[in-house]
Amino acid sequence: MCFKKQFFLLLIFAAALGFRVTAQTWVVPDDQKAVTAPAKFTPAMQKQGEQVYTKNCQSCHGLPGKDNWVKLVPPPGDLAKEKAQKQTDGEIFYRITTGKVPMPEFRNIIPEDDRWNVIAYLRTFNPKYVQPEPSAKTAFTGRIVTLAMQYSEPVKKIVVTAHEKLKDNDKAPAAGIEVMLYVKRFFGNMQVGDMKTTNAKGEAFFEFPADLPGNSAGNVDITAQVNDPKNQMKATPAAATLAIGVPTSRPGLTETRAWWSTRGKAPIWLLLTYTLSVLIVWGFIVYIVVSVMKIRKLSQG
Amino acid sequence: MTMDDNKLTFDKITSDLTHHIRINKGFLVWMGFLTVSLVACLYAYSLQLRTGLGVAGIRDYVTWGLYLANFVFFVAASLIGMLISAVLGLAGMKWITPLTRIAETIAVSFAAVAGLVIVSDMGRPERLAYVFIYGRPQSPILWDVTVIITYFALSLLLLYLPMIADMAILHRKGALPSWLKGTYKCLSLNFTDTPAQNRIINRSIRMLLILLVPMALSIHTVTSWLFAVTSRAGWDSSIFGPYFVSGAFVAGSAAVIIAMFFFRKNYKLQDYITDLHFDNMGKVLVTVSLVYLYFNINEFLVPGYKLQRADAIHLTELFSGKDACMFWIVQIGGLVLPILLLFFRPFRKPLPILVISIAVLIAAWFKRYLIVIPTQEHPFLPIQHVPQNFVVYTPTLVETMITIGPFILVLIIITLISKFFPVIPLHETAVEKGVEDV
Repeated sequence: MCFKKQFFLLLIFAAALGFRVTAQTWVVPDDQKAVTAPAKFTPAMQKQGEQVYTKNCQSCHGLPGKDNWVKLVPPPGDLAKEKAQKQTDGEIFYRITTGKVPMPEFRNIIPEDDRWNVIAYLRTFNPKYVQPEPSAKTAFTGRIVTLAMQYSEPVKKIVVTAHEKLKDNDKAPAAGIEVMLYVKRFFGNMQVGDMKTTNAKGEAFFEFPADLPGNSAGNVDITAQVNDPKNQMKATPAAATLAIGVPTSRPGLTETRAWWSTRGKAPIWLLLTYTLSVLIVWGFIVYIVVSVMKIRKLSQG
Repeated sequence: MTMDDNKLTFDKITSDLTHHIRINKGFLVWMGFLTVSLVACLYAYSLQLRTGLGVAGIRDYVTWGLYLANFVFFVAASLIGMLISAVLGLAGMKWITPLTRIAETIAVSFAAVAGLVIVSDMGRPERLAYVFIYGRPQSPILWDVTVIITYFALSLLLLYLPMIADMAILHRKGALPSWLKGTYKCLSLNFTDTPAQNRIINRSIRMLLILLVPMALSIHTVTSWLFAVTSRAGWDSSIFGPYFVSGAFVAGSAAVIIAMFFFRKNYKLQDYITDLHFDNMGKVLVTVSLVYLYFNINEFLVPGYKLQRADAIHLTELFSGKDACMFWIVQIGGLVLPILLLFFRPFRKPLPILVISIAVLIAAWFKRYLIVIPTQEHPFLPIQHVPQNFVVYTPTLVETMITIGPFILVLIIITLISKFFPVIPLHETAVEKGVEDV
């Protein structure tokens, strides 16, 4: 019993400690804190930021200034309030970008420009805010790559070709580019094959599975992307709709009559059973009421 | 039997069964108490209307709290009308005659209020009509609404039809205020006991009784499907229909016994509701309890033997975890013990069986709580990053008052029906005793 009590005390202590630690550990690196927006905030940016905020942030943080954030642990808090506003732009940007459970990571969800627009919007709730000097943009020195894609009937393969822009604005095949191929499925994109590296001609070949379902015409939506995790290139992906899938015509889950569909798409037998049961039973009820009403006419004396 | 059949006359039966129909001090005090309590509960509901469902303890995980447990209980209690009137009545059991109206009164009042209980769980009650306008015939919720309304209509008719002859007698005989006599006259439909009139009534009652059996089975089976069509541990069961129906008979029989006891005492009906009726109702209660026990064993033993992951969590909480105390008190105190006691005749005497029935009825309510709430506290996906009051369900005071409100409303309806109409069918009793109106 005593052990149990001690154990619980320990547990409570650990939980309290854990809470303190989690509450404190979201530290933004100093170099990230110092990051500033790439441009001066404009009303257009603020307006765009409001839309992004409504779509991505409001569901947890609520309306800025209204204190109607969702009760989560740790609390999301109102971003118009001082606690959020005393952060630097860099800190807010870092937090939006990286996230920390339960806050999602928005790195791949909200484009960089829009993340800054959200900050521009949030700063409109802080009259004391003065925007620091925007960071000067340095000229881009990395590779500028454009992908193209086509299906080669003779080799039965998808050929992805990479070209890069040279300094004199000429185009040349780009070798050594890591390329990944995706095919669009019901829930997002599915990778086809492994990652390939372009050869000296700038080409990468992907075998396409023979049994992959397409739409009724066999069309599949395919995209090719450059693998560039460190953001060292400016890459333009390629997209194409190719008739190389297996023609499949399967009605959507909500297109036919089914249990899970809307009322208009209820199964016929169910509609009939329900309606008939109701009509029969209520028919009897009405019949009984009508016949009971006759009692009045049948009285004597 | 304490009744001396030789001295029985029509006038005596009439006076015995109708002397309580008068407005006395006791009635006023009792109704005053009920009205004040109801107003307090309505105030609690007004708080919920103004602030929203957040005033109740229900949160994102436990979304069905006291209100839904209460709803299941109300539907359950209303089922007894079918058992007493239809099953035992159609089987030709004569002893149930004095109890039919009590059972029907309970059925009508609980069925009527069950609909209101569901409304108390709605965040936007003004959108109630949307259930009908946009209801999907694929959804058990629409079926439930349909069968409850139908069952209420059938029960109301079944309460009213045997009363037509009684109304005629009351209109002629009773020394009552003129407004009451006028009401009786209107309700009696000028019944003059002609063969043609009796034929209509008897045929209609027979039709109602036959319709009532499938409809009563439907209302509680469909209510059980609201749970059983999901894959949650503790709800995902193919025997939920009969499990709920048998449980409903237990709760309803107990409710009838309690009502019998108080009507007999307060309205001095000892000559009509005798020890024999308590004894027989005790046998009914023990029979339905045994059936319910059988379903309980199935419901807990089979998943308990397999202990699949979600079931294991759910059953461990019930058997030895957070809900164990309530679970074992309900199962032993509300089911096993009553069965054992009711096997013995002395425990089927009025007072002991009243005490047992009260225990059974209270346990029946908590049983609904155990069916509805605990499984929601351990969903398939782990609960995380939410405040403590989302994790553990704790009913609030306002919620409790809104839950008590319907009980008060039921008591008001039962009181009014039993105060202004004979608790025991007058005409039917006279016919059965062979004493005719002269």
